[in-house]
Amino acid sequence: MAIVIEPYRQEHEPAVQEFNRRLQQSSGDPDLVFSQRSVPRWLPPANNNPVWNEFFVAVEGSSVRGAYGLKQEMVLVRRKGMHKVACYHHPLSEGIIDRKYASVGALLARDALARQPFLYALGMGGSDRPIAKMLKVLGFSLTPIPFYFRVVHPYRFLLEMQALRQTRWRALAMSMAAVTGTGWLAIKSAQEASKLRGRTLDFVAEEIPEFSEWADEIWNKANGIVSMAAVRDAKTLRLLYRADVTSIKRLRVSRKGSAIGWAIIGQRRKDPKFGRMRVGSVVDCWAAPENAAAVVQAAAQALEKDGVDLIVSNQSHQVWCRAFESGGFLKGPSTFVFAASKKLTELLQPLEETRLSLHITRADGDGLPANF
Amino acid sequence: MNPAVFDQIRTMASDLFGVPADRITATSSPETLENWDSVQHLNLVLALEEKFGMQLSPEEIEQMKSIGDTAKLIESKLQATPR
Repeated sequence: MAIVIEPYRQEHEPAVQEFNRRLQQSSGDPDLVFSQRSVPRWLPPANNNPVWNEFFVAVEGSSVRGAYGLKQEMVLVRRKGMHKVACYHHPLSEGIIDRKYASVGALLARDALARQPFLYALGMGGSDRPIAKMLKVLGFSLTPIPFYFRVVHPYRFLLEMQALRQTRWRALAMSMAAVTGTGWLAIKSAQEASKLRGRTLDFVAEEIPEFSEWADEIWNKANGIVSMAAVRDAKTLRLLYRADVTSIKRLRVSRKGSAIGWAIIGQRRKDPKFGRMRVGSVVDCWAAPENAAAVVQAAAQALEKDGVDLIVSNQSHQVWCRAFESGGFLKGPSTFVFAASKKLTELLQPLEETRLSLHITRADGDGLPANF
Repeated sequence: MNPAVFDQIRTMASDLFGVPADRITATSSPETLENWDSVQHLNLVLALEEKFGMQLSPEEIEQMKSIGDTAKLIESKLQATPR
């Protein structure tokens, strides 16, 4: 029976549940699930909304064999104005557990490209993972988005950071470093070395319940420095960071009574690679270049006050990369990859130059509801 | 099945899946060839499109369940193409 890809409707929901059950049973991975609801919880389609999610399913008779999501949004591209693009996310195929359906992954990706040629994907766990490899085959360009981290509590970091403790000897060495204080000294020295020396940034940070019109002014003031950024005006920010979502905090950063920037911060959900650490994230941020360092400092201070052990962030724009480095953040290996379709890559040419001023953070793509 | 088309597809599959051509038969499928995963399936689709100068629709991609099915599909598309 032929496989047809169509918009996910309520009548598909039982078949999607069955699809999820098969995936989980065979893979043992509890995260391998597609939305049980045909209407997205995050960014459902609505009249005049500038950003929304829509889902598609690959149907074979009465069974669902695959599914994916598209986050439709507007991006600003330097010298080319506003463009409609889509983020390809959560592609899941029965081919993961049954090789008879090896074709489904290709069908999903091609279907998404046919619906929106200006397509991108984000994250994917690294460029060596199957989705990234498949997109590369389809001509997508892959760009890793730099990863930054700042250790707040070195003792817990050395004891809990599982990536550093993969062998018995390394685990022992990390424990020794934690107990003797040499690890603390090494981490603090490295972080201080990259910090702005003696510079006190003058700002006031406050948590706000929702974005309002002041954010438009900051969006307009700062968007000239980006080669591409998803729109972050007040209307879009209210949709992305809805007032009723309490797993994140919205920070407004001001100087002399005027707003100069904002940040979204949150604590990441538990992840085995971080052990029992409390991991804070600077999810998103926006400001004119001269105010980026103040926003980073405000976000980091707020997370420290919340008691996190480690602060992480992904940032692509060179201004923000420098701001994080000057805030004592260290650069680590990144598995967070930006994949742009051929059409989108053409729009961003020359990518070797424009990639340095892409504004991509953890808030782009689909990661927001899943990770916080 | 046209042996010339089958041979060309077999050679292509041999390169893509890293399997000696003589081990690939008409019944070879993702279930019998270890390297025939979703990424390689897409590679096979793109290689076929380039080699034979054609576009494969989603329905046709889905028909490629084995090397034999793929050869039959390509053969029928070649026959249907006006020369």
